[in-house]
Amino acid sequence: MSYSVLEINNLNFSIEKKEILKNLNIKVSKGEFVGLIGPNGAGKSTLLKCINGIYKGSGIIKINGMELNKISEKEVAREVSLMHQDTFMSFPFPVVDVVLMGRYPHIGRFKNESRKDYKVARYNMELTDTINLEKRHITNISGGERQRVLFAKTLTQETNIILLDEPTASLDISYQEQIINYARKLADEGKTVIAAVHDLKIAARYCTKIVLLKDGSILAKGTPEEVITRENLSDAYDVNSIVYRNNVTGYLDFHIIKRDRVRKQNIHVIGGGGSASGIMRYLFENGYGITTGVLWRGDSDQSFADVFGIETVICEPFCEISDEVQRVNINLIKKSDITILCNMPFGKHNIKNLESAKGAQKLIIVEDEVVEGRDYTKGAALTLYNELKQFATITTSARLHEVL
Amino acid sequence: MGSEIKRSNKKYVLSAMILMLVIVVILGVAVGDVYVPFFNVVRIILKRWGLIKGTQISSAHEAIIFAVRFPRVVTAVLVGGALAVSGTVMQGMFRNPMADPGLIGVSSGASLGAVTAIALGLTVRNLYFMPVLAAIGSLTVAFVIYILAGANKKVPVLTLILAGIAVSTFISSITSMILLSFNQQNQIREFLFWSVGGLNDRRWEHVKLIILPIMIGIFVLMFFLKDLNILLLGEEEAQSLGLNPVKTRRILLVFSSIVTATAISVSGNISFVGLIVPHIMRLIVGPDHRVLLPVSLLGGSIFLVLCDLLGRVILPVEINVGIITSLVGAPYFLYLLGRARKGGSTF
Repeated sequence: MSYSVLEINNLNFSIEKKEILKNLNIKVSKGEFVGLIGPNGAGKSTLLKCINGIYKGSGIIKINGMELNKISEKEVAREVSLMHQDTFMSFPFPVVDVVLMGRYPHIGRFKNESRKDYKVARYNMELTDTINLEKRHITNISGGERQRVLFAKTLTQETNIILLDEPTASLDISYQEQIINYARKLADEGKTVIAAVHDLKIAARYCTKIVLLKDGSILAKGTPEEVITRENLSDAYDVNSIVYRNNVTGYLDFHIIKRDRVRKQNIHVIGGGGSASGIMRYLFENGYGITTGVLWRGDSDQSFADVFGIETVICEPFCEISDEVQRVNINLIKKSDITILCNMPFGKHNIKNLESAKGAQKLIIVEDEVVEGRDYTKGAALTLYNELKQFATITTSARLHEVL
Repeated sequence: MGSEIKRSNKKYVLSAMILMLVIVVILGVAVGDVYVPFFNVVRIILKRWGLIKGTQISSAHEAIIFAVRFPRVVTAVLVGGALAVSGTVMQGMFRNPMADPGLIGVSSGASLGAVTAIALGLTVRNLYFMPVLAAIGSLTVAFVIYILAGANKKVPVLTLILAGIAVSTFISSITSMILLSFNQQNQIREFLFWSVGGLNDRRWEHVKLIILPIMIGIFVLMFFLKDLNILLLGEEEAQSLGLNPVKTRRILLVFSSIVTATAISVSGNISFVGLIVPHIMRLIVGPDHRVLLPVSLLGGSIFLVLCDLLGRVILPVEINVGIITSLVGAPYFLYLLGRARKGGSTF
């Protein structure tokens, strides 16, 4: 499977001295679905047009081992098809005739479309759900319908390499997923698909490989997990994001967060059982430095901290906090400007967190519910808690921002 | 399936139009100062071809028909067809239903050639001078525009259109300058007569002059009908389908320029045929050039023969065909525009 259907070596492309693509090297194997991602102007469309031979850059592009510059336009068109971004027609061709134009590279100059050509066209119109538009004029259908018709036309070209330039741009959500899903199926059947995709979640979900472009260079390439990372998203799009595997869908997912750039104090959060997540999110978005612990491995607060990249002191589930782990935690507390004790339940396993809180420079206790109902230590925790209350600021989650 | 049915429909349209062309040609030959009855015309033609034996037909009629009317009607057939074909090609190539052969400067170039011929007094010496100079002028200007716009490289069609407008304006002002320097009334009249477009006194010499370039040009253009369809998707899209847009555009431009230049070299600048005939035909048979172009060819011929006929009969004085095409063409065009506005997109 190491055989490359497409090989791009040292591709450079510039328009009027402005470099659009810089030294690209990409290899694509048969059956792959490559997603090109990157901010606007990164060169995604340009790269696709270079692969299609529309733009001629320096460097070598090989298609099935043949050098692109050495084969005729028609030969290229029998190997590579490209669905362009906004194709429009000002003349009222029936939809079926537009789809049939995909057969152009396969038909001789004076031959008309054969029965077989019609069959291919209709097959792809069924797939893209445009068969009912067959007799309508291309000038009289909606943008989304036109997009699907053009997709059908691209498929009707029956090439081994299919390039899609933002194929879902003007589509309804249901058709967006459908087209990409279908592209993936084509790849699974042995075609090779390269698509410029705007929606990173869709790219992460369906593509077998991702190439991240920025300013005409490759920032990262590899599997979705390798490419869609917090660091890469930050480098390419200049956003703060968290990347995680969505527990509900099982797909790689990410979340863009606003974060104040002004760094504020360091805060240590003591929580567990979900009591700390909301608070940590608030602190994170407002630019505080955060540490947390001690949390059980697998606790929802721990997962949260993991996704947000928050330094966490962890102990094994259902175990008491060992002295060594506690020492680490106390160290973090002492270094922090503020320590927040969340509205959490107390049991034998985490009572040491209360002891550690004594070392806080400044302690804030979040108390949404009375502590009596959260004590499962028969009073031991309660005593410690009341001691802490002596020198702490007491507040509720809703009013936390007032005391910070 | 729609298009398969349509395609057989289109065969009927084509046959009907061939029939119409034959009828209007005979009418065009029959009607004039001396009326030759329709069937007499048919008989005279058949006799000339040796298909029937000598009947009692006046030889005066025969002379009128073959020496005067026939060459004129044949010129109309050639010029009308040529203008409609190159109009269709321009509209397809520029992806713009408003395009016409004038866009690439052929008209302004032909005017300059014609006015030069008049200024040099060549028109009185030999009847060939005017058409030859007009053809040279229009091809030269088309070539200049082509080079200036960089159309032999990858440039947007809009650049070509804009360059065409600029160069045409420049050339027209030179024409006006020469025109204003004329001090003889009849020179100005001669130019005006030419520039309005007319078919009066066109002889077999004119037919011989234009028939080959027009036929060859149209023949070559017929090779590119499917390519014209593909070009309607846009040049980059066309390339994705395996068509070399720059090369194809070059061929289309060269041959439609030759066809147009040749036609207007003998007829003068007849307006509206190249714009309006493709439109009407597109409404009837659709935009597929494989059908549209042959049908436009016939439509252009019919339209011009009919307009010429009208010009000869509606007033006691003959009206130039160029005036009739505009008089008929402009209102009809406005009517189409109105329909397009109401019905969404007719074009």
